Amino acid sequence: MSVCRAWSFALLGIDASPVEVEVDVSAGLPGFSVVGLPDAAVQEARERVRVAITNSGYKFPTKKVIVNLAPANLRKEGPAFDLPIALAVLAVSGAVPPESLEGAGVVGELSLDGGLREVRGALSMAEATRRKGLTRLLLPEVNAVEAASVGAVEAYGLQNLRQTVDFLKGEAPIVCARPTENGKVEEPENLDDFADVAGQRFAKRALEVTAAGGHNILMSGPPGSGKTMLARRLPGILPPLTLEESIEVTKVYSAAGEGNGKLLTRRPFRAPHHTISTSGLAGGGSNPRPGEVSLAHHGVLFLDEFPEFSRPTLEVLRQPLEDGHVTISRVAATLSYPARMTLACSMNPCPCGYAGDQRRACRCTAGQIERYQSRISGPLLDRLDLFVDVPRLTREELRGEERAESSKEIRERVSGARESQIGRQGVPNSALAGRALREVCRLRGDSETLFSQAIDRMGLSGRAHDRILRVARTVADLSGAPEIEVEHLAEALNYRRSRFVDR
Amino acid sequence: MIGSERSAYLFLSLLQARTGSSLISRLGELPPSSILKISAKELAARVKMTDRAVRSFDSLRHDFDPDAIVERLTEKGITALTPADEGYPERLTEMPDPPPALFMDGALPQGPTVAIVGSRKASPTGLGVARSLGRALGERGVCVVSGLALGVDAASHQGALDGGGPTVGVLGSGIDVVYPRSNRRLFDSVRDSGAIISEYYLGEAPLAWRFPARNRIIAGLGDVLVVVEAAEKSGALITARHALDAGGDVWAVPGPPGVPECRGSNKLLADGAGVLWDIPEFVEAIAPEPIRESGKKTSEPHIPEELPENEARALAGVGFESTPVDVAAGRSGMAVQELLSALTLLELKGYVARDEAGAFLRRSVG
Repeated sequence: MSVCRAWSFALLGIDASPVEVEVDVSAGLPGFSVVGLPDAAVQEARERVRVAITNSGYKFPTKKVIVNLAPANLRKEGPAFDLPIALAVLAVSGAVPPESLEGAGVVGELSLDGGLREVRGALSMAEATRRKGLTRLLLPEVNAVEAASVGAVEAYGLQNLRQTVDFLKGEAPIVCARPTENGKVEEPENLDDFADVAGQRFAKRALEVTAAGGHNILMSGPPGSGKTMLARRLPGILPPLTLEESIEVTKVYSAAGEGNGKLLTRRPFRAPHHTISTSGLAGGGSNPRPGEVSLAHHGVLFLDEFPEFSRPTLEVLRQPLEDGHVTISRVAATLSYPARMTLACSMNPCPCGYAGDQRRACRCTAGQIERYQSRISGPLLDRLDLFVDVPRLTREELRGEERAESSKEIRERVSGARESQIGRQGVPNSALAGRALREVCRLRGDSETLFSQAIDRMGLSGRAHDRILRVARTVADLSGAPEIEVEHLAEALNYRRSRFVDR
Repeated sequence: MIGSERSAYLFLSLLQARTGSSLISRLGELPPSSILKISAKELAARVKMTDRAVRSFDSLRHDFDPDAIVERLTEKGITALTPADEGYPERLTEMPDPPPALFMDGALPQGPTVAIVGSRKASPTGLGVARSLGRALGERGVCVVSGLALGVDAASHQGALDGGGPTVGVLGSGIDVVYPRSNRRLFDSVRDSGAIISEYYLGEAPLAWRFPARNRIIAGLGDVLVVVEAAEKSGALITARHALDAGGDVWAVPGPPGVPECRGSNKLLADGAGVLWDIPEFVEAIAPEPIRESGKKTSEPHIPEELPENEARALAGVGFESTPVDVAAGRSGMAVQELLSALTLLELKGYVARDEAGAFLRRSVG
């Protein structure tokens, strides 16, 4: 037989697309070429495959070898095609029975001695295997457990080329990998717990409301007031990941090559530095990878020193905040990564950080403060529902504090509130808009009187109006109330923008 | 055709805005009205002038058209007051360097006036005092004069507006130039309640030297000057000096010792300024009886006993200084969500105010 085939996968965004690897060996001058839009890493597969085959004790055909990666219009990247190419070559030369490659997906990078190295996106490839109707996936051992989480696909973890060949010949059976804990999402153990934070009850409550309604939050306060410490604890009070969410998160991490080979069960917390580039935040690059917004998918994206981020960088946040995913257009393809995250931002009130602080004088001029605060773009601010000031407190001011609540207790309330939102309107309160907002957040009697008073006396804009209603709804959900009562609305009014941010 | 004396003052006003130095104070026995007849050479012989000033004088006089100026002002609803006009504030004429013309959008209110000045970035407490003071004066119908800058100026104007009183803003830029831009809404409210005043003609830029210069107008328009929070070298202190020069009455709000932002105002107290330690007492001293009978009656003073139990507890946790929510929570022993709702209700009832750092402070006025 002169042509043999194997199925493999190319990663597009976080999803894998099937690629058929065809190898033809014909008479002619000895040579080895790869066609079908391969990138540099795929071209180099020729050298790795040739050496790995020889070093594993097989013979590389001294004929003209052509590898075609189909469909030819899809750009192929990375070294994951090494193994399928090698196996198809060996199938042509008879070392591997060609029919053993049927019904199997194959991925893996080869080292020169024939060993297998890990690949990116194993979980997505396992999903693609299932979608394609294949039953088996052959991949490096380190990726096997992750791939097995998908179920319905037998994932075989392999160590080297020789073992793979023996396995395909039926000489050395391997047990297929099992997902950890049968795919059950384990209770994440939390190192950052709210029980360890003394005081800051206002900010903690604001974070609880943020988590419960799927809102976004901006914390403003002087350096050292604990904004970062508080934000770090936000993932721990979000409801636990469901299995589907967990798989999505793992796919993103796996596509970025940051997975740990297992299903990720903790909500991610990402805190990129403010010097991050636009493609670092949104994703992209010549070898496309998910950016920080996607790595924070189903978790928390924390932007410390919010006004220091460059404007174009922050503008890329608008799409994910609106649609829950981010689209990257590149020459070869347009990719889409999921990016549904809770955005937590923090800022100092002024360049020196101490405006409004009780114990330290601010050194900035009024104009400087204004310029600093106006750096944040208005449309982005409109996506933030809660604003909270985090003051620096002395030990004495923190006195009278009873035992702080643990994250677990808060998370239970948050989960309850989320469930009632999903049961009522199908989306978290943060996504309420237009008619749904008016219906779900209808005010009656006293609360309506209070709201019109507040609009007059606090000078609330139309946008602020909707924000406060959404937050009030979440506060009511947290206390299990069917209607927004006066106390819920009154609390929500505290999370409006302070004058520092509202212009 | 407008009067020759009036046009002479208008000419002086435009000239001074260009050269940045006061000519009117150096004219000596030369009557201001002669300025349009005299040649630059002759003037330079009698009054010390820089070469630049002489050139400005020539070029400006070449195309000086007082009627066109007045017409453009009238189009915008702005009037010009010169010392030749009736209604030019008397105290300003007594100053060594009176503004040759005051451009005015609105009308100067009758009755007593209090000028309030202070730091542009005062502490929340300072801003609170300025606002309460403006409000207390506004409720008595006393006109509050200030500089429409950020900080204490804005807080005083806002307070006066809260109290329903007239207020006058004096600019360091052209009469139609809003600076800082963020104050636009306040500008409009101030104009509607009283007047916006500037000695600079339409479109003049807010140059740095114009701000200390406009301070003398603020000082001249107020019967009494109050300094809220001022550092040792500050515009507010310049204003106080102008007020003292013009024989005005200067008061200052005491601040904590050693705080740099309050050193200037505290020094004034040490030098004998009136001590503003109690707002009602001060208001009583300035305007013994409510002048304004008409208009909305300000709300009845609330007695804290009327408050529901949780609001009373929350109020007990808030001090007269800025109190962060967590501190109030500690003092009142309330759960934070309960406290937060109570604080909003108290804010709407006027018992507490929220400062710009998100902390609450108690207000004496119910």
